[in-house]
Amino acid sequence: MNERNNSPDCERAADLMAFLYNEASESEASDFQLHLQECGSCRAELASFGTVRESITAWRDEALSGFVSSPALKKPSTKSAVAALRQFFDLSPLWLKGATALAAVTFCVLAGLAIAKRENNHLSSTQVNQGNVYTQQDVDRIVKEELAKQKKAEPSPVETASDSALAVKSPKPKALRTATPDQLVKSRRPLSRAEREQLAAELRLQTTDDATLNLLGDRINQ
Amino acid sequence: MDLSSDEIIVERALTGDAEAFGEIVRRWERRIFALTYGMLGREEDARDATQETFLAAFRNLRGFRGEAKVSSWLHRIAVNQCISRQRRSRVRSESALEDEQENDANLFASPISYSPAHVAEGRQQTAAVRRAVNSLPLDLRQVVVMKEFEELTFREIADVLDLPLSTVKSRLYTAMKQLQMRLQKFESRN
Repeated sequence: MNERNNSPDCERAADLMAFLYNEASESEASDFQLHLQECGSCRAELASFGTVRESITAWRDEALSGFVSSPALKKPSTKSAVAALRQFFDLSPLWLKGATALAAVTFCVLAGLAIAKRENNHLSSTQVNQGNVYTQQDVDRIVKEELAKQKKAEPSPVETASDSALAVKSPKPKALRTATPDQLVKSRRPLSRAEREQLAAELRLQTTDDATLNLLGDRINQ
Repeated sequence: MDLSSDEIIVERALTGDAEAFGEIVRRWERRIFALTYGMLGREEDARDATQETFLAAFRNLRGFRGEAKVSSWLHRIAVNQCISRQRRSRVRSESALEDEQENDANLFASPISYSPAHVAEGRQQTAAVRRAVNSLPLDLRQVVVMKEFEELTFREIADVLDLPLSTVKSRLYTAMKQLQMRLQKFESRN
Protein backbone atom coordinates (compact mmCIF):
# COMPACT_ATOMS: atom_id res chain seq x y z
CA MET A 1 0.00 0.00 0.00
CA ASN A 2 2.56 2.51 -0.89
CA GLU A 3 1.82 3.55 -4.43
CA ARG A 4 2.21 7.12 -5.69
CA ASN A 5 3.00 8.78 -2.38
CA ASN A 6 -0.45 7.92 -1.11
CA SER A 7 0.81 5.45 1.38
CA PRO A 8 -1.79 4.78 4.03
CA ASP A 9 -1.45 6.23 7.47
CA CYS A 10 -2.43 2.86 8.86
CA GLU A 11 -1.30 -0.58 7.77
CA ARG A 12 -4.88 -1.82 7.69
CA ALA A 13 -5.79 0.04 4.48
CA ALA A 14 -6.81 -3.19 2.71
CA ASP A 15 -9.22 -3.98 5.54
CA LEU A 16 -10.49 -0.43 5.31
CA MET A 17 -11.34 -0.92 1.62
CA ALA A 18 -13.07 -4.25 2.26
CA PHE A 19 -15.05 -2.62 5.09
CA LEU A 20 -15.92 0.42 2.97
CA TYR A 21 -17.36 -1.73 0.17
CA ASN A 22 -19.07 -4.25 2.48
CA GLU A 23 -16.84 -7.05 1.31
CA ALA A 24 -15.43 -7.95 4.68
CA SER A 25 -16.65 -11.11 6.32
CA GLU A 26 -18.64 -10.80 9.53
CA SER A 27 -15.66 -11.48 11.76
CA GLU A 28 -13.40 -9.17 9.70
CA ALA A 29 -15.98 -6.42 9.91
CA SER A 30 -16.41 -6.67 13.66
CA ASP A 31 -12.65 -6.81 14.10
CA PHE A 32 -12.22 -3.69 11.96
CA GLN A 33 -14.95 -1.89 13.87
CA LEU A 34 -12.96 -2.46 17.03
CA HIS A 35 -9.91 -1.09 15.23
CA LEU A 36 -11.85 1.99 14.18
CA GLN A 37 -12.44 2.89 17.82
CA GLU A 38 -8.71 3.17 18.31
CA CYS A 39 -7.50 4.46 14.92
CA GLY A 40 -8.37 8.07 14.16
CA SER A 41 -6.69 7.93 10.76
CA CYS A 42 -8.90 5.04 9.58
CA ARG A 43 -12.00 6.79 10.97
CA ALA A 44 -11.17 9.96 9.04
CA GLU A 45 -10.45 8.07 5.84
CA LEU A 46 -13.61 6.01 6.11
CA ALA A 47 -15.65 9.22 6.41
CA SER A 48 -13.92 11.06 3.56
CA PHE A 49 -13.96 8.02 1.23
CA GLY A 50 -17.66 7.71 1.94
CA THR A 51 -18.15 11.28 0.74
CA VAL A 52 -16.12 10.57 -2.40
CA ARG A 53 -18.26 7.53 -3.07
CA GLU A 54 -21.45 9.58 -2.72
CA SER A 55 -20.16 12.07 -5.29
CA ILE A 56 -19.20 9.33 -7.72
CA THR A 57 -22.59 7.65 -7.27
CA ALA A 58 -24.35 10.93 -8.07
CA TRP A 59 -22.27 11.31 -11.21
CA ARG A 60 -22.86 7.67 -12.20
CA ASP A 61 -26.62 7.93 -11.74
CA GLU A 62 -26.72 11.09 -13.80
CA ALA A 63 -24.56 9.56 -16.52
CA LEU A 64 -26.44 6.29 -16.74
CA SER A 65 -29.88 7.85 -16.60
CA GLY A 66 -29.37 8.91 -20.20
CA PHE A 67 -28.47 5.44 -21.31
CA VAL A 68 -30.88 3.97 -23.83
CA SER A 69 -30.51 0.45 -25.05
CA SER A 70 -30.00 0.03 -28.78
CA PRO A 71 -33.50 -0.07 -30.28
CA ALA A 72 -32.65 -3.02 -32.51
CA LEU A 73 -31.80 -5.08 -29.47
CA LYS A 74 -34.82 -4.23 -27.40
CA LYS A 75 -36.99 -7.21 -26.64
CA PRO A 76 -40.57 -6.91 -27.78
CA SER A 77 -42.68 -5.54 -25.01
CA THR A 78 -44.68 -8.22 -23.24
CA LYS A 79 -46.51 -5.90 -20.92
CA SER A 80 -49.94 -7.22 -20.10
CA ALA A 81 -53.08 -5.26 -20.76
CA VAL A 82 -53.66 -4.91 -17.03
CA ALA A 83 -50.16 -3.54 -16.50
CA ALA A 84 -50.62 -1.10 -19.37
CA LEU A 85 -53.95 0.02 -17.91
CA ARG A 86 -52.36 0.47 -14.48
CA GLN A 87 -49.55 2.53 -16.00
CA PHE A 88 -52.11 4.64 -17.86
CA PHE A 89 -53.96 5.34 -14.62
CA ASP A 90 -50.74 6.09 -12.79
CA LEU A 91 -49.72 8.67 -15.35
CA SER A 92 -53.15 10.21 -15.94
CA PRO A 93 -54.22 13.46 -14.29
CA LEU A 94 -57.08 13.32 -11.79
CA TRP A 95 -59.74 14.67 -14.18
CA LEU A 96 -58.87 12.02 -16.75
CA LYS A 97 -59.09 9.30 -14.14
CA GLY A 98 -62.56 10.60 -13.14
CA ALA A 99 -63.74 10.82 -16.73
CA THR A 100 -62.53 7.31 -17.46
CA ALA A 101 -64.26 5.96 -14.39
CA LEU A 102 -67.52 7.73 -15.34
CA ALA A 103 -67.30 6.38 -18.88
CA ALA A 104 -66.71 2.89 -17.53
CA VAL A 105 -69.72 3.13 -15.20
CA THR A 106 -71.95 4.46 -18.02
CA PHE A 107 -70.81 1.69 -20.29
CA CYS A 108 -71.56 -0.93 -17.64
CA VAL A 109 -75.05 0.50 -17.01
CA LEU A 110 -75.86 0.59 -20.73
CA ALA A 111 -74.55 -2.90 -21.20
CA GLY A 112 -76.67 -4.09 -18.27
CA LEU A 113 -79.78 -2.45 -19.70
CA ALA A 114 -79.15 -3.97 -23.11
CA ILE A 115 -78.76 -7.42 -21.60
CA ALA A 116 -81.92 -7.01 -19.50
CA LYS A 117 -83.88 -5.90 -22.55
CA ARG A 118 -82.65 -8.84 -24.53
CA GLU A 119 -83.61 -11.21 -21.74
CA ASN A 120 -87.15 -9.76 -21.69
CA ASN A 121 -87.52 -10.18 -25.44
CA HIS A 122 -86.32 -13.71 -25.21
CA LEU A 123 -88.76 -14.52 -22.40
CA SER A 124 -91.75 -13.01 -24.18
CA SER A 125 -90.94 -14.85 -27.40
CA THR A 126 -90.65 -18.09 -25.44
CA GLN A 127 -94.02 -17.45 -23.83
CA VAL A 128 -95.58 -16.73 -27.21
CA ASN A 129 -94.32 -20.02 -28.59
CA GLN A 130 -95.57 -21.87 -25.56
CA GLY A 131 -99.07 -20.45 -26.08
CA ASN A 132 -99.01 -21.45 -29.78
CA VAL A 133 -99.62 -17.90 -30.92
CA TYR A 134 -98.28 -17.32 -34.39
CA THR A 135 -97.56 -14.12 -36.19
CA GLN A 136 -99.30 -13.18 -39.42
CA GLN A 137 -96.23 -14.21 -41.42
CA ASP A 138 -96.12 -17.59 -39.69
CA VAL A 139 -99.77 -18.22 -40.44
CA ASP A 140 -99.35 -17.26 -44.09
CA ARG A 141 -96.35 -19.50 -44.44
CA ILE A 142 -98.01 -22.48 -42.78
CA VAL A 143 -101.14 -22.06 -44.84
CA LYS A 144 -99.09 -21.96 -48.01
CA GLU A 145 -97.23 -25.07 -46.99
CA GLU A 146 -100.41 -26.91 -46.18
CA LEU A 147 -101.96 -25.89 -49.47
CA ALA A 148 -98.95 -27.18 -51.30
CA LYS A 149 -99.18 -30.43 -49.38
CA GLN A 150 -102.85 -30.77 -50.13
CA LYS A 151 -102.26 -30.09 -53.80
CA LYS A 152 -99.77 -32.89 -53.80
CA ALA A 153 -102.16 -35.14 -51.98
CA GLU A 154 -105.06 -34.27 -54.31
CA PRO A 155 -106.72 -37.64 -55.11
CA SER A 156 -106.34 -38.74 -58.68
CA PRO A 157 -109.37 -40.14 -60.44
CA VAL A 158 -108.17 -43.66 -59.72
CA GLU A 159 -107.76 -43.04 -56.03
CA THR A 160 -110.23 -44.84 -53.81
CA ALA A 161 -112.82 -43.16 -51.70
CA SER A 162 -111.25 -44.49 -48.54
CA ASP A 163 -108.09 -42.53 -49.33
CA SER A 164 -110.16 -39.40 -49.64
CA ALA A 165 -111.94 -40.14 -46.42
CA LEU A 166 -108.61 -40.53 -44.68
CA ALA A 167 -107.56 -37.22 -46.01
CA VAL A 168 -110.68 -35.60 -44.69
CA LYS A 169 -110.30 -37.37 -41.38
CA SER A 170 -106.75 -36.25 -40.95
CA PRO A 171 -106.48 -33.63 -38.25
CA LYS A 172 -106.48 -30.07 -39.33
CA PRO A 173 -103.18 -28.30 -38.99
CA LYS A 174 -102.82 -26.20 -35.92
CA ALA A 175 -102.42 -23.07 -37.97
CA LEU A 176 -105.70 -23.50 -39.64
CA ARG A 177 -107.47 -23.75 -36.34
CA THR A 178 -106.25 -20.38 -35.38
CA ALA A 179 -106.22 -18.71 -38.78
CA THR A 180 -108.63 -15.94 -39.69
CA PRO A 181 -111.90 -16.86 -41.37
CA ASP A 182 -110.86 -15.20 -44.63
CA GLN A 183 -107.75 -17.26 -44.76
CA LEU A 184 -109.70 -20.40 -44.00
CA VAL A 185 -112.09 -19.69 -46.83
CA LYS A 186 -109.18 -19.06 -49.13
CA SER A 187 -107.46 -22.19 -48.04
CA ARG A 188 -110.51 -24.40 -48.47
CA ARG A 189 -111.07 -26.27 -51.67
CA PRO A 190 -114.48 -27.60 -52.74
CA LEU A 191 -115.11 -31.09 -51.44
CA SER A 192 -114.97 -33.83 -53.99
CA ARG A 193 -117.80 -36.21 -54.42
CA ALA A 194 -116.04 -38.98 -52.55
CA GLU A 195 -115.42 -36.65 -49.63
CA ARG A 196 -118.98 -35.50 -49.56
CA GLU A 197 -120.15 -39.13 -49.57
CA GLN A 198 -117.83 -39.95 -46.73
CA LEU A 199 -119.02 -36.95 -44.80
CA ALA A 200 -122.62 -37.88 -45.38
CA ALA A 201 -121.94 -41.37 -44.16
CA GLU A 202 -120.45 -40.02 -41.05
CA LEU A 203 -123.37 -37.78 -40.48
CA ARG A 204 -125.57 -40.85 -40.95
CA LEU A 205 -127.17 -39.45 -43.97
CA GLN A 206 -128.14 -42.46 -45.88
CA THR A 207 -129.01 -40.68 -48.96
CA THR A 208 -126.57 -40.53 -51.79
CA ASP A 209 -128.55 -38.46 -54.14
CA ASP A 210 -126.62 -35.69 -55.81
CA ALA A 211 -128.86 -32.85 -54.72
CA THR A 212 -128.39 -33.52 -50.99
CA LEU A 213 -124.71 -34.08 -51.33
CA ASN A 214 -124.27 -30.89 -53.32
CA LEU A 215 -126.23 -28.94 -50.75
CA LEU A 216 -124.08 -30.33 -47.98
CA GLY A 217 -120.96 -29.61 -49.95
CA ASP A 218 -122.06 -26.06 -50.60
CA ARG A 219 -122.75 -25.45 -46.94
CA ILE A 220 -119.40 -26.74 -45.95
CA ASN A 221 -117.70 -24.80 -48.68
CA GLN A 222 -119.36 -21.67 -47.49
CA MET B 1 -25.26 -26.22 -16.17
CA ASP B 2 -27.58 -23.25 -16.35
CA LEU B 3 -28.97 -23.10 -19.87
CA SER B 4 -29.28 -19.34 -19.70
CA SER B 5 -25.69 -18.76 -18.59
CA ASP B 6 -23.54 -16.46 -20.68
CA GLU B 7 -21.25 -19.31 -21.59
CA ILE B 8 -24.07 -21.42 -23.00
CA ILE B 9 -25.40 -18.46 -24.94
CA VAL B 10 -21.95 -17.86 -26.45
CA GLU B 11 -21.87 -21.52 -27.46
CA ARG B 12 -25.22 -21.07 -29.14
CA ALA B 13 -23.90 -18.01 -30.96
CA LEU B 14 -20.93 -20.07 -32.13
CA THR B 15 -23.23 -22.66 -33.61
CA GLY B 16 -24.91 -19.97 -35.70
CA ASP B 17 -27.82 -18.91 -33.50
CA ALA B 18 -28.35 -15.34 -34.68
CA GLU B 19 -30.36 -14.35 -31.61
CA ALA B 20 -27.82 -15.58 -29.10
CA PHE B 21 -25.25 -12.83 -29.43
CA GLY B 22 -28.01 -10.25 -29.26
CA GLU B 23 -28.91 -11.71 -25.87
CA ILE B 24 -25.33 -11.23 -24.68
CA VAL B 25 -25.42 -7.62 -25.82
CA ARG B 26 -28.70 -7.02 -24.05
CA ARG B 27 -27.32 -8.44 -20.83
CA TRP B 28 -24.07 -6.56 -20.75
CA GLU B 29 -24.69 -3.40 -22.75
CA ARG B 30 -25.49 -1.21 -19.78
CA ARG B 31 -22.57 -2.33 -17.69
CA ILE B 32 -20.12 -2.01 -20.52
CA PHE B 33 -21.49 1.46 -21.20
CA ALA B 34 -20.97 2.30 -17.53
CA LEU B 35 -17.40 1.13 -17.78
CA THR B 36 -16.62 3.05 -20.97
CA TYR B 37 -18.40 6.13 -19.68
CA GLY B 38 -16.38 6.06 -16.49
CA MET B 39 -13.20 5.51 -18.43
CA LEU B 40 -13.78 8.07 -21.16
CA GLY B 41 -15.99 10.59 -19.40
CA ARG B 42 -18.03 11.50 -22.46
CA GLU B 43 -21.33 9.95 -23.38
CA GLU B 44 -20.68 10.00 -27.12
CA ASP B 45 -17.28 8.37 -26.74
CA ALA B 46 -18.73 5.85 -24.33
CA ARG B 47 -21.43 4.85 -26.81
CA ASP B 48 -18.90 4.41 -29.58
CA ALA B 49 -16.58 2.42 -27.34
CA THR B 50 -19.49 0.20 -26.20
CA GLN B 51 -20.43 -0.49 -29.78
CA GLU B 52 -16.83 -1.23 -30.71
CA THR B 53 -16.53 -3.54 -27.73
CA PHE B 54 -19.40 -5.71 -28.86
CA LEU B 55 -18.25 -5.64 -32.46
CA ALA B 56 -14.81 -6.78 -31.38
CA ALA B 57 -16.35 -9.45 -29.17
CA PHE B 58 -18.46 -10.71 -32.05
CA ARG B 59 -15.47 -10.81 -34.40
CA ASN B 60 -13.41 -12.69 -31.82
CA LEU B 61 -16.16 -14.97 -30.65
CA ARG B 62 -14.23 -18.04 -31.81
CA GLY B 63 -11.28 -16.87 -29.76
CA PHE B 64 -13.33 -16.96 -26.57
CA ARG B 65 -12.15 -19.73 -24.33
CA GLY B 66 -14.52 -21.06 -21.75
CA GLU B 67 -11.86 -20.73 -19.06
CA ALA B 68 -12.77 -17.12 -18.35
CA LYS B 69 -16.20 -15.71 -17.67
CA VAL B 70 -17.93 -13.96 -20.56
CA SER B 71 -18.25 -10.88 -18.36
CA SER B 72 -14.50 -10.76 -17.68
CA TRP B 73 -13.78 -11.27 -21.35
CA LEU B 74 -16.12 -8.43 -22.34
CA HIS B 75 -14.66 -6.13 -19.67
CA ARG B 76 -11.18 -6.78 -20.91
CA ILE B 77 -12.20 -5.95 -24.47
CA ALA B 78 -13.95 -2.79 -23.25
CA VAL B 79 -10.93 -1.64 -21.24
CA ASN B 80 -8.69 -2.21 -24.27
CA GLN B 81 -11.13 -0.29 -26.45
CA CYS B 82 -11.04 2.64 -24.06
CA ILE B 83 -7.24 2.62 -23.86
CA SER B 84 -6.82 2.52 -27.64
CA ARG B 85 -9.43 5.25 -28.10
CA GLN B 86 -7.59 7.45 -25.65
CA ARG B 87 -4.30 6.80 -27.38
CA ARG B 88 -5.78 7.59 -30.78
CA SER B 89 -7.28 10.82 -29.59
CA ARG B 90 -4.39 11.93 -27.43
CA VAL B 91 -3.17 14.51 -29.89
CA ARG B 92 -6.66 15.68 -30.62
CA SER B 93 -7.53 15.80 -26.95
CA GLU B 94 -4.56 17.92 -26.03
CA SER B 95 -6.36 20.99 -27.24
CA ALA B 96 -9.59 19.70 -25.75
CA LEU B 97 -7.79 19.14 -22.46
CA GLU B 98 -6.62 22.70 -22.53
CA ASP B 99 -10.21 23.78 -23.06
CA GLU B 100 -11.31 21.51 -20.28
CA GLN B 101 -8.66 22.79 -17.93
CA GLU B 102 -9.76 26.28 -18.76
CA ASN B 103 -13.32 25.27 -18.04
CA ASP B 104 -12.15 23.61 -14.87
CA ALA B 105 -10.42 26.77 -13.79
CA ASN B 106 -13.57 28.75 -14.49
CA LEU B 107 -15.62 26.16 -12.74
CA PHE B 108 -13.45 26.04 -9.68
CA ALA B 109 -13.19 29.79 -9.58
CA SER B 110 -16.77 30.59 -10.41
CA PRO B 111 -18.66 32.28 -7.61
CA ILE B 112 -21.73 30.50 -6.25
CA SER B 113 -23.92 33.46 -7.14
CA TYR B 114 -23.10 32.70 -10.77
CA SER B 115 -25.58 29.85 -10.94
CA PRO B 116 -29.12 29.33 -9.63
CA ALA B 117 -28.05 27.82 -6.34
CA HIS B 118 -28.75 24.20 -5.75
CA VAL B 119 -29.01 22.66 -9.22
CA ALA B 120 -25.95 24.42 -10.42
CA GLU B 121 -24.08 23.42 -7.31
CA GLY B 122 -24.95 19.79 -7.93
CA ARG B 123 -23.86 20.10 -11.52
CA GLN B 124 -20.61 21.63 -10.48
CA GLN B 125 -20.03 18.84 -8.01
CA THR B 126 -20.79 16.22 -10.66
CA ALA B 127 -18.52 17.91 -13.15
CA ALA B 128 -15.79 18.12 -10.55
CA VAL B 129 -16.05 14.40 -9.78
CA ARG B 130 -16.03 13.53 -13.46
CA ARG B 131 -12.91 15.55 -14.03
CA ALA B 132 -11.28 14.21 -10.92
CA VAL B 133 -11.88 10.63 -12.05
CA ASN B 134 -10.79 11.39 -15.61
CA SER B 135 -7.56 12.87 -14.39
CA LEU B 136 -6.60 9.68 -12.54
CA PRO B 137 -3.92 7.51 -14.12
CA LEU B 138 -5.47 4.79 -16.28
CA ASP B 139 -4.69 1.87 -13.96
CA LEU B 140 -6.35 3.66 -11.03
CA ARG B 141 -9.27 4.87 -13.09
CA GLN B 142 -10.03 1.34 -14.32
CA VAL B 143 -10.37 0.09 -10.78
CA VAL B 144 -12.55 3.01 -9.66
CA VAL B 145 -14.86 2.63 -12.62
CA MET B 146 -15.17 -1.13 -12.23
CA LYS B 147 -15.92 -0.76 -8.56
CA GLU B 148 -18.20 2.27 -8.59
CA PHE B 149 -19.84 2.10 -11.99
CA GLU B 150 -20.09 -1.61 -12.47
CA GLU B 151 -20.17 -2.61 -8.85
CA LEU B 152 -17.84 -5.54 -9.41
CA THR B 153 -16.33 -7.23 -6.40
CA PHE B 154 -12.61 -7.00 -5.71
CA ARG B 155 -12.27 -10.62 -6.82
CA GLU B 156 -14.07 -9.92 -10.12
CA ILE B 157 -11.88 -6.89 -10.80
CA ALA B 158 -8.81 -8.97 -10.04
CA ASP B 159 -10.02 -11.59 -12.53
CA VAL B 160 -10.76 -9.08 -15.26
CA LEU B 161 -7.48 -7.23 -14.88
CA ASP B 162 -5.54 -10.34 -14.07
CA LEU B 163 -4.11 -8.81 -10.92
CA PRO B 164 -3.65 -10.04 -7.34
CA LEU B 165 -6.53 -9.16 -5.02
CA SER B 166 -4.26 -7.09 -2.79
CA THR B 167 -3.15 -4.98 -5.76
CA VAL B 168 -6.75 -4.19 -6.63
CA LYS B 169 -7.42 -3.02 -3.07
CA SER B 170 -4.23 -1.04 -3.01
CA ARG B 171 -5.03 0.69 -6.29
CA LEU B 172 -8.51 1.54 -5.17
CA TYR B 173 -7.20 2.95 -1.91
CA THR B 174 -4.73 5.14 -3.82
CA ALA B 175 -7.43 6.25 -6.24
CA MET B 176 -9.77 7.19 -3.41
CA LYS B 177 -7.06 9.13 -1.69
CA GLN B 178 -6.32 11.13 -4.84
CA LEU B 179 -10.00 11.76 -5.53
CA GLN B 180 -10.51 12.92 -1.97
CA MET B 181 -7.69 15.46 -2.33
CA ARG B 182 -8.97 16.76 -5.67
CA LEU B 183 -12.50 17.14 -4.41
CA GLN B 184 -11.29 18.88 -1.27
CA LYS B 185 -9.44 21.31 -3.48
CA PHE B 186 -12.62 21.95 -5.45
CA GLU B 187 -14.62 22.56 -2.28
CA SER B 188 -12.04 24.90 -0.81
CA ARG B 189 -12.10 26.97 -4.03
CA ASN B 190 -15.84 27.28 -3.79
